Order: sequence, then structure tokens, then C-alpha cells
Amino acid sequence: MKKILVVDDEESIRFLYKEELEEEGYVVECAGDGEEAIEKLPVFKPDLISLDIKMPGMDGIEALKRIREKERQLPIILCSAYGEYKQDLSTWASDAYVVKCADLTAFKSTIRKLLGLS
Amino acid sequence: MPDPAYDLLKSVARISNASGPILVKVDQMLRSISTAFQSGRCLFLGPEKIVPNGFLSRLVLEKKPLWVEEGSSFQKENVLPEEEDLFCPAFACIPLYDGTSFLGILYLDFPKQHRFSPQQMDLLPLLAEVIEVTIHNDDLQQMIQSHEKRVKKLSTLWELNKALLTTVNFERILHLTLTAITIGEGLKFNRAMLFLVNEKDRILEGTMAVGPDNAEEAGKVWASLSRRNGALSDLITQLDPEDHSALNSVVKGIQIPLEQEECILSRTVLEGRPFNTQLPRSKEGWLQTRCERGCHLGSEVGCYVGEHLSRDPKIYSFATVPLMGKGKVIGAVLVDNLYNQNPITEEDIQFLSMFANQAGLAIENAALYRNLEEVHRELKETQTYLVHLEKMVALGEMSTTIAHEIKNPLTSVGGFARRLDRNLPQESQEKKYSQTIIKEVSRLEKILDGLLNYTQDGSLVSKELDLRDVLEESLSMAIEGIRLGGVQLIKEYAEEIPLIKGDSHQLKQSFFNLINNACQAMKEKGTLFLRVHSFSKNGSPCVRVEVEDTGKGIDPENLHNIFNPFYSTKESRLGLGLPIVHKIIASHRGQIEVDNRPGTGVKFIITLPAFEERKENRIISP
Repeated sequence: MKKILVVDDEESIRFLYKEELEEEGYVVECAGDGEEAIEKLPVFKPDLISLDIKMPGMDGIEALKRIREKERQLPIILCSAYGEYKQDLSTWASDAYVVKCADLTAFKSTIRKLLGLS
Repeated sequence: MPDPAYDLLKSVARISNASGPILVKVDQMLRSISTAFQSGRCLFLGPEKIVPNGFLSRLVLEKKPLWVEEGSSFQKENVLPEEEDLFCPAFACIPLYDGTSFLGILYLDFPKQHRFSPQQMDLLPLLAEVIEVTIHNDDLQQMIQSHEKRVKKLSTLWELNKALLTTVNFERILHLTLTAITIGEGLKFNRAMLFLVNEKDRILEGTMAVGPDNAEEAGKVWASLSRRNGALSDLITQLDPEDHSALNSVVKGIQIPLEQEECILSRTVLEGRPFNTQLPRSKEGWLQTRCERGCHLGSEVGCYVGEHLSRDPKIYSFATVPLMGKGKVIGAVLVDNLYNQNPITEEDIQFLSMFANQAGLAIENAALYRNLEEVHRELKETQTYLVHLEKMVALGEMSTTIAHEIKNPLTSVGGFARRLDRNLPQESQEKKYSQTIIKEVSRLEKILDGLLNYTQDGSLVSKELDLRDVLEESLSMAIEGIRLGGVQLIKEYAEEIPLIKGDSHQLKQSFFNLINNACQAMKEKGTLFLRVHSFSKNGSPCVRVEVEDTGKGIDPENLHNIFNPFYSTKESRLGLGLPIVHKIIASHRGQIEVDNRPGTGVKFIITLPAFEERKENRIISP
């Protein structure tokens, strides 16, 4: 059972992702910002992280940097409402960039690809 | 007791006090003296008559009268040959002075022997003194007159300057200058023409002229002017600056290269000095100038003069003066007295030069002011443009913020709707509800993306498209509005339409916006026309889409604003529809035109270039 850490400041999004991903058969844990995510990292030991970019406190870009320092191999997906961060060099350290959409098909297939399930 | 000496003094004094030219008065006095003394000649010898080193010149230095009679010691040897005429048996010479300066000698002679009585020797110096005072008074009189003249000129000049100060309008200043030169209370010339230097092209350009076109008109103008009252400065500022005279249009067409040194106007500017010129007329009636060809003075102004004259002068007299700006010559003024043929004196030119110096400064200032105004206007335009840009930036920031705020909730609404949808049985009523939520949420998501596309350069997803399909999809998005509003739909699609290459989603959004606007403009009822045609523009195939409604049309006042991001006549909307359409069409290398007929409707015409594959159009039939 692969474990996924969902990091997003919006509770509804966390809820949606948790429901959808658990249905796919993953174990899902959530964090509301970058700091909480880093705290949960050694305890939960996820196989993949979904990271929102715009968050109060430590944002996704900063969290990405911190996590990468510790976990070089851990797959990380950056999620954002729009594609404006695609040009930002600091997002290149992630493994994928997904634009948020009510239709989660693209998101789910990206996760499967990164976990080597498809 | 009659006293002849007293009578003589009285009559001479009377002559002295009478008015008249000084030479006549002196002559009358000399005659009276000669008669009373019963002498031969009685002369007044001015300084020009005094021969150097002669006996008269010694007399001038000694400042003493000379009496020569029988037995006096004066010898003929003292007289130079040029003075011999004055050497008589008896004569008297009395030098006259005005203060210390020598005026002349009163000379009286007798052809025969004569002895001067003591009475006569007393009387003659007295008479000499009367002549002296008369001449002195006359000098003073003349000085007063010339001063009066000068004061009058200065006050005229002051009045004219006052008029020049009333405005900074360039055309007005030019007209005031020329009016001042031609008006009777001013400089009194018949006509005046103004030329300004164009530094860039090194030419002298005729700028304005004031003057009647013929003698008859001149008479009328002067008569009407002489009926006016008031100060000169008020008078000339009241005159109508509109001048439709033929002279004005002739002068406005004149251009003289500054390098054409034969032309008096060029020389006036280059040498910076006035010219007073008289040109003889040739047999053909043309004025002969030193310039062989192209001299406008001879060929246009002069020729013009010749043709329109009521009388035929043998000579054309005119004067030119330079117009001085700050430290440089900015142009020239040409004046003449064509109609009354008054001679142009050096004094006139001096006066004109004085005025031209003042006018030159005023003209230069007005020109600077005009430039300033022009720069100001440009700045204002730039400012308006910047404000517009600022609006765009503000729009960008605002829409990004709104989009972010809306996108996340929308994602969860849509996401959970999908979750619900998956668990609902097919054909159930609830399934239809959830499907509607999913559909509407994805439409909202697309609108948000469209909004962001306006401010961020969203990259196009380029595909080969049939615009009829795109239009149909847009129509299906808007069909609700059409049905509810009771709008009749008329589709005119050509059978063969070349494909275009573009982003179907963006184009769909554009047509949707146009259709939506059309439906809203027609409110309850009307007809919506959708047309798709192909045509050739400059040899390359294009597709034209028309969206036409029968609404009220666009208020012509707002027409220029419809692609402005914040403009909207529909209060509830952001005013983003048409700007987004415009941006999308432009990014497809297309054009959007508006055919606005206020009151009857609007037609939007979108032209997109057809996709050419190896110069071969793929035609798809419907």
C-alpha cells in the first residue's frame, strides 16, 4: 500500500484528494502547510507528496526545497490553480507539475506514473 | 517824431516773429536793412561761404565787426582772390554767434564812398543780433518738431507693442504685426508680407500677407478704418484676422532658398539689414530683378502687382527689413506703397526696423509657445495611453486574484460532484443533476482560464479546425440564452470552408462571447445571424465568420471603447468579453471588425487566415 502525503491549505481540497486517492487504494495523510508537512515526513514516511504552491506560512516552493534536501528520491507533485509557476525555475526540482482541475484523471495518472504503477 | 532806426528794428523784429521758412524770413530782413541803409548788397554769409585763411575767416576768429570806409586801414592785400567780390569802397561785416558756435556773417556794402555814422554803427550790430536770435529760435523750433515726431513714433510703437502683448497665438501675432505695419495710425504702408526662415530646409517661406488686392478695395478699407475710434492697440486687436485676399494666398505659396543670394528677401535675412529698393518695369510689364529666374519678388509678388494695378507705375518701390529674434534673424518683412505711391523714406525704414525688432521677438515667443503646446498635447496623449496601460495591469492583477480565489472552491465542488456522479445509477434524476453540476463547473473553469489567458500569454493549443464546428459548439454553450429570449436563429454556412489552425477552446470562447452579447442586446426578441464564408484576401484564402444581431447597436460614442477591458454597458459584467475576443482573434493572426448600425443592430466580422498545407487547401464538405 503506497502512502501519499497531500499538502494543501484548502480543507475541501484535502478532503477531496483524500477521498479520491483512498478510493484508488492509497494510504493518505494530509498537512495544511509546508511546516506541518515537514513535521509529518519522518513519522508518516510517504512514497509520494502532492504539494500545493500557494499556501500561507511556508509555501510549496519553500517546502519543496526543504524536503528535497532530506529526500532526494521521493516523488513530489506540485499542484497549482494555474500554470503560472511552470516557468519558475525553482519548480523544476519537482517530478511533475499539475494544474488543479475538478477532473482528477490527469492528477491520478501522474501519481501512478511516478509510483511506477502503470 | 519818426525815428527810422526804431521803425527798422520794429519791422525786422516783426519779420522775426512771423511764421514761415527761415530762409525766407532772413531774406526779408536783409532786404529791409538794405532799403533802410540805402546800401548796395545786404547778405547773410553762412559758414559754407567762408573761405579758409581769408579775411572773413580771421573775422570769425576775432569775433569783432569790421567796418571798412574811406581812410580805414583795411587793405585790399588782405583779401583772397575768391573774396574779391566782397571788397567794395565801403562795407561792414558783423559775425553772428549762437553761444560759441559761429552762425554766419551779416554783410552790407556800398558801391560808392560812404562813411558809417555812429548811429549806423550802433544799429547794424543790433540788427545782426535780431537775425541771430531768429536763426537760433528756428533751430529750437525744428528741434522741438523733430522731438515731437519722435515722441509720436515712440507712442505708436508702444501702442503696437501693447497690441502684440495681447496674445501668444502664433497666427494672431503674425496678423497683428502685418496690420500694425499697414494701418494708417501705425506704419502706414499699403501692403505688408511676412516671410519666416525654415531652418531645417534652409528656405524662406511666405507666411502671411495683409493688403488690399486692388486700388478700389484699398480705398474702401482705408475709408472704413478712418471711421473707427479708440486707441491704436485696441483698434488693431479688434480687426478680423481672417484674410482671404489673393495677396495672402500668393505669398503663402512662396518659398525662396536662402542660398539664392540674388533675391533681396534672402539677402535681407542673410545680411540682417534693411533694403530700400526700386525696380524698373520691363516693356512686358514684368519687374526686372537681378535674378534670372525663380525670384519670387519679380515673378510673383511683382507680377501680381503689375496685373492688378489700376494705374501703371513705371517703377515698383518696396522695402524689406529683417525680423530679429533672440540673437538671430528669423525672417523678413516686405512692404510697399503700391496704391498711393508714397515714397519710402529712410525714416520709414528706420521706424519699420524698430517695430520689426519687437515683432520678431513676439513672433519667436509665439512660435516657442506653439511648440510647447504641441509637446504638451503629445505628453497628454502619452499620459492617456499610460493610464490605459495601468488599467490593463490593474485588470491583470485583479483577474489573477479573483481567479485564484475562485479556482480552489470550484475544484472541490467539481471534484465532489464527480464523486457523487460515479455512485449514482444511470437514468436517475439525480444523475442528471450531478451531470449539470459537472458541466457547469467545467464551463466556469474554462472561463477562468480564458480570463487568465488575457493577462498571461497562454500558449495556444494549435489544431486544424473547421470553424463551422467551433461555431456550433459555441452555439450549444449559449443555446439556453437563445431559447429563453425567444431569439430566432438564422445560419448561413457555405458548403466548402477551408480549415484554419487554432485553439478550438479559445475560439469557442470568442464566438460564445459574441453570441452571448448579441442575445443580450436583443433582450426578448430578434434575429441572430451566423454566417461562415470563405474568401480570398491578397491571394491568400481566409475564412470569415459573421455574428449579427438586430438589437439596438452600439452607441457611436462608445464604439471606440468596446475593446477596452473595463468598458461595459452591461453593468453586471466585468467588461472583459470583447477585449478577450479581440486578444484571441489577434493571437490567431486574425482581424475583428465591427459594422455598427445604431438602432438596427451590430455585425461583428471575424477574419481568420486559412490553414495551407503545402499550398493545397484541404476542403471539407459538411
